Amino acid sequence: MDGLTLFIQQVFNGLRVGSVYALIALGYTMVYGIIRLINFAHGDFIMVGAYTLFFTVPLMISHGMPAWLSVFAAIAVCATTGVLVEKLAYKPVRKRGNNMSALITAIAMSLFLENMAQTLFGANPKQVITIFNLPNLLGFNGNTLVTILIGVSIMVGLTLFVKHTKTGQAMRAVSEDKKASLLMGINVNRTITITFAIGSGLAAIASLMYIVQYNQVTNLMGYMLGLKAFVAAVLGGIGSIPGAMLGGLLIGLVESLSKAYSSTLTGGIITSAFSDAIVFGILIIVLLVKPTGLIGEKTGEKV
Amino acid sequence: MKRYLSILTAVVLVLTTLLVPAMAETEPVKIGAIAPLTGSLATYGESVTNGIKLAIQEINDAGGVLGGRQLDVTYMDDKADATESANAFNKLVSDGNKAIIGSVTSGVTAGLAALANDQGMLLLTPTATADTITDGYTSVFRACFRDSFQGEVGAKVAVKLGVKKVAILYASGDTYSSGLYEAFKTAAATQGLEIVDVESSSTTSDTDYTTQLTNIVASGAELIFAPYYYDSIGPYIVPQARAAGFTGYFVGADGWDGTQNTMVADKSLYNKCFYTNHYAPDDPSPIVQNFVKKYTDTYGAASLTALAALAYDAAYMLKDAIETAGTDDTAAIIKAMTGMSFSGVTGTFTLDASGTPEKAAPVIEYVDGVAKFYASI
Repeated sequence: MDGLTLFIQQVFNGLRVGSVYALIALGYTMVYGIIRLINFAHGDFIMVGAYTLFFTVPLMISHGMPAWLSVFAAIAVCATTGVLVEKLAYKPVRKRGNNMSALITAIAMSLFLENMAQTLFGANPKQVITIFNLPNLLGFNGNTLVTILIGVSIMVGLTLFVKHTKTGQAMRAVSEDKKASLLMGINVNRTITITFAIGSGLAAIASLMYIVQYNQVTNLMGYMLGLKAFVAAVLGGIGSIPGAMLGGLLIGLVESLSKAYSSTLTGGIITSAFSDAIVFGILIIVLLVKPTGLIGEKTGEKV
Repeated sequence: MKRYLSILTAVVLVLTTLLVPAMAETEPVKIGAIAPLTGSLATYGESVTNGIKLAIQEINDAGGVLGGRQLDVTYMDDKADATESANAFNKLVSDGNKAIIGSVTSGVTAGLAALANDQGMLLLTPTATADTITDGYTSVFRACFRDSFQGEVGAKVAVKLGVKKVAILYASGDTYSSGLYEAFKTAAATQGLEIVDVESSSTTSDTDYTTQLTNIVASGAELIFAPYYYDSIGPYIVPQARAAGFTGYFVGADGWDGTQNTMVADKSLYNKCFYTNHYAPDDPSPIVQNFVKKYTDTYGAASLTALAALAYDAAYMLKDAIETAGTDDTAAIIKAMTGMSFSGVTGTFTLDASGTPEKAAPVIEYVDGVAKFYASI
């Protein structure tokens, strides 16, 4: 294998990881964009969706239906979980405290979901039956291509939804100023609930594409995945929908290329094991140099 | 009436004092066990406690130890965390346990070993393979071999398979994985193998290794030594290597045990995969088959791993040592266990001066997803 082919191969590997990060980052950014809350439990919604797939995929197959249809069950379960988490945990805290206490509640929620899943399903990793496996297209992994396509369509769909529907307008209004929206007759609570339902539903779609690529469900799977997607969302500009897509793909590329070449470039001082450190290093640099991210909009209010 | 009552009390008191020594002979022998029962390594704890429970059940059903005394085991959770394990250890010691079986992972056990040695408590770890666990401690023993030995066996498997160019993929942030990497590297040099590429990940719980594996394929390696655990070997490393175009051999260590439960649908991907283990479940010898059958009947096949077999053996090692000592005095049991010979599910062996068994490692091969005994090295 010559150097160029190897490089192209590593770029494809990066896109493969990045496409999943992008899907997750979309959910992060969606919720942040509306209620200015970094939902650290978002990674664990992926886990909830993945367990739903683990249980519903065999059911679908035994009833002679295509396995990917179980994504609708996952969307329903994730959206319900998201709304419940919002109603039971975030809303009461938001009413009394500030953004910081909501953020800490989100971290608590993440730990709660992880440990609840372990109690319910055990610590053993579970294997999901192959949902589908697409053939390569011109040497490009078919699953990756579909993941990117889904990501782009969600990105376009969300942008249109937020810009052109009544609910979307309400969302933007709530994100600008909650009190004023209330005065304008917008049902703020309903809008936030819908935001959470959509954001969590997106997590279900991300978990489908994750499962297609990685096949395995564990109670802790959402932890690292969520953190990396968070970095992706910040890199792209948290709150910006196209930014999440771009950030996800970029983080995937950085991860892959740093794993592939850091050892050769630095003479073995920085090995492939450093890739996570590099990814989180990016988070620090972005926050220092350009806190709004690559294509994030300027907002007065910051967490 | 009052006088009669006081006389009666006095009589009862005297009788109780007289009876106590007689009762002590039938009192159960208290043993402690420490394992990660919850947390990310809870599956290990499950296998280990099941193995101990099975052996203890058999021993007690057959009449216990020291002429009719039952073994009474208290299980404590360490969550695979050093602080939790030290708390569990201290609790077990103050509760009057005579010996402690545990813990499961090397990191946690290393801390316990120092504690046990200071307090003269017998610590028998079924599964901690890190090299130095038993070194320099007179009251610490184990039922498994050490990591450097596994790395050496890995290199010998490569030679036996007739390959020359090997690559290594390991987790640099993990004691177990990096320990095996060092041992394999040293052994590979003496065995005349050429290491063409070394790739690493930061932890053993990464999910994507495609980039490193693509580099390994480009290096032209015929064999990859991958000291990881079953939860990343089955779903990630092997399928991703095959997808990246790797057609050669894989060699792993005992962390691979259980991979048959984490494999993807296409089992043929796992052909040409070998790993060193502590026992071979398809070994036809009666003691192994008895263990496999009883374990599966009681706890099911999912948690039946080498860890369970080692824990089962550890309980029997302790039983043998108590019988040899002829008493439940901790110091006497330690003396009896030092240099003991034992024959169990995980082989026939004698403990070396440090308290680690000297035994052969069975090498297991996956054939269409089924673990088969390949050779004993």
